[in-house]
Amino acid sequence: MNSTSKTLWPILLGVSLLLTTVSVLHAAPSEQQWQSLNHSLVKEHILPRYQALQHSSAKLATSTTALCRQPEQKQLENAQADFQQTMDAWQEVQHIQFGPIETLMRNFSMQFWPDKKNLIGKQLNLLLQQGNPDTLSTDYLYKASIGVKGLPALERLLFTSSLHQLTNNSYRCQLSQTIATYIAINSRATLDEWNNGYSNSLSIAGSQNSYYDSHQEAAVDLMKSLIEPIEAIRDQKILRPLGGGQVRPKRSESWRSQRSLRNIQLNIASIRHLYSGTTSSVDSLLRKQGRAAQADNISILFNRIEQQLKTVQAPLITSLYQSATVDQLLRISDALQQLDRGLTAEMLTLEIQLGFNSRDGD
Amino acid sequence: MEINRRRFCQLLGSTLLLPSLTLAADDDNRSAKPMFASAAKDSAGQFHLYLIGQQGEVMLDHLLPGRAHHTEVHPHLPLLACIARRPGRFIDLVDYRQQRLVKRINAGSGRHFFGHGIFSEDGRWLITTENEISSGQGRVVIRALGANYPIIADYPSYGIGPHELVQQPGSSVLTVANGGILTHPNHGREKLNLDSMQPSLLRLDILTGKRLEQQQLPAHLHQLSIRHIDTNPQGTTVIALQYQGEKGHNLPLVAVHQPGQPIELLHAPPAVNLAMKGYCGSARIDHSGRFAAVSAPRGDLISFWDLHENQFISSIKSRDGCGLAATNNSAEFIISAGTGRCLRHNLQRGTTVRLPSTIATAWDNHLTTLPI
Repeated sequence: MNSTSKTLWPILLGVSLLLTTVSVLHAAPSEQQWQSLNHSLVKEHILPRYQALQHSSAKLATSTTALCRQPEQKQLENAQADFQQTMDAWQEVQHIQFGPIETLMRNFSMQFWPDKKNLIGKQLNLLLQQGNPDTLSTDYLYKASIGVKGLPALERLLFTSSLHQLTNNSYRCQLSQTIATYIAINSRATLDEWNNGYSNSLSIAGSQNSYYDSHQEAAVDLMKSLIEPIEAIRDQKILRPLGGGQVRPKRSESWRSQRSLRNIQLNIASIRHLYSGTTSSVDSLLRKQGRAAQADNISILFNRIEQQLKTVQAPLITSLYQSATVDQLLRISDALQQLDRGLTAEMLTLEIQLGFNSRDGD
Repeated sequence: MEINRRRFCQLLGSTLLLPSLTLAADDDNRSAKPMFASAAKDSAGQFHLYLIGQQGEVMLDHLLPGRAHHTEVHPHLPLLACIARRPGRFIDLVDYRQQRLVKRINAGSGRHFFGHGIFSEDGRWLITTENEISSGQGRVVIRALGANYPIIADYPSYGIGPHELVQQPGSSVLTVANGGILTHPNHGREKLNLDSMQPSLLRLDILTGKRLEQQQLPAHLHQLSIRHIDTNPQGTTVIALQYQGEKGHNLPLVAVHQPGQPIELLHAPPAVNLAMKGYCGSARIDHSGRFAAVSAPRGDLISFWDLHENQFISSIKSRDGCGLAATNNSAEFIISAGTGRCLRHNLQRGTTVRLPSTIATAWDNHLTTLPI
């Protein structure tokens, strides 16, 4: 199939020299460049976010305990505020889907969503009906259904219970306290594992003791965290509640705590930080590769999405019924798609393969 | 197309005259020894069928008309069959010595392929799983090797979405994985029946199309798609499953089947099972028939199983690793990955060696080793 006559050789040689020159200009980043990028992203992006999650979830565990001891409006409001802060922290690190958060399905334990079959409602109601005190331990939750040990279950308990239901150290209140403690334990363990091993595994990529064979391979996980959430945000958080004609506001994430829109805003801001907010960044790497125009375009898209999100009226649970909101969200969805395409195209420049069999198998 | 037995036997007779493929080695590759063949995608997005030598040399580079899935090597001719991924409609038959496309088979009208096909053990037939688009019913189609690859039998697969099929060595039994997932070319690769899917494992007599046995998983596990399989000479089949239900459930993803018995689910340690992310991509049994490898490309790992003890043995990391093939050594497998990296893992020695490579390409789901 590849028969090459001798007369073609000089031409082929010329072509291959030309290709070599081109490939020097646009050479893939070196191992050193990947190492420096990974270092920045771990130290300046990932670790501070897990630190914040650990901090706010510990506070939430304390305030739910205080609520059960003294079930008054003030304590309920404190617990709700700490829930909001913990959810803020989670939304800012939700896009990191590799490493310790994956261990033992911690990511699903933290937040099982979307919950298309109302698993959380069913499992939680079952627990509340039975009111068995044996279920009030984090050891029990460890083995319990994924639906009852994370932020969505706690959100239901803290935002749909009346103060009356939480008095007398009720099962309902103690369950809230147990789930909050479980979330805090998970957050602590995730942070500890990053600090005590996973960060190091990334920084010594290529050595025998690392999970990664090269710095480039480690960068693949970080680039997946940059790109893959964009489609997920578009599909799950925007298009699914829009329902293709018939809006379904209760498909929005965190609608009970009225923060669906805020979640998306925090996601985009955090993903933008992952893209260009650190000392060594994907943005700076692209510019070094001679892709300034493309990097500019990506920044413009981030800007546009952030601006568009600011104009949407919250909470989506009610504003989604307005056609103006639907139109705004559809425009944001389009911009997210462009951003996804723009970033995906640049992965080719950086010679990053996000996954072939893992992303599109059969 | 159903055919009567008499016509079938006539066709059988006629196909004993094998196509005129030369066995003479081409001068270019005289020194190179083939190692494996696989479909792949290059960085420009084009799809190729490659034959790779023991030193990583490219011994064949054949441009495909679209994305393929499985590649099969003929048992005694220098012939590779590369089957289009669903819902594709081509099979490229390539003579790797002559470096020549021998034949491009197109699926019949109203049909498409599912990405898998095999040569019968005697080398006379090419057998594929197909979709009868109008009914959504699976078919098992036998073509005779020859100038036009005539269809000599067209059997029902007794299920929807048949995927991989294998012949039990030394027998006329064909094992077929009915994945259970309904798709229609008008809807691309969209899965249309996840709530009602009924995957099954079928054992079929190649000569008659007779259904010898059909097994399903318990009803509550009906969303575990039975997709990739391999069968040893004793008729033990290892099954790699794909979970189509909601994320977050941690169901077993590997199973075995003994003739006449229900399917038995095997259990990896919980952490390994979690890491497999609900999705296995390929299954192969080793040269001895005792050990199996199952890939989990979403979890970047390959798990190994003892089919005598029905037990998990170990797992190794392989980023985006999916393709598996047995080597001529017991307990040894070759693994190919979407990253372009290929490994050889020997279970008994516990060694993993990176194979030499001369090209950067994304290896597609399945590879096949060549008889030396």
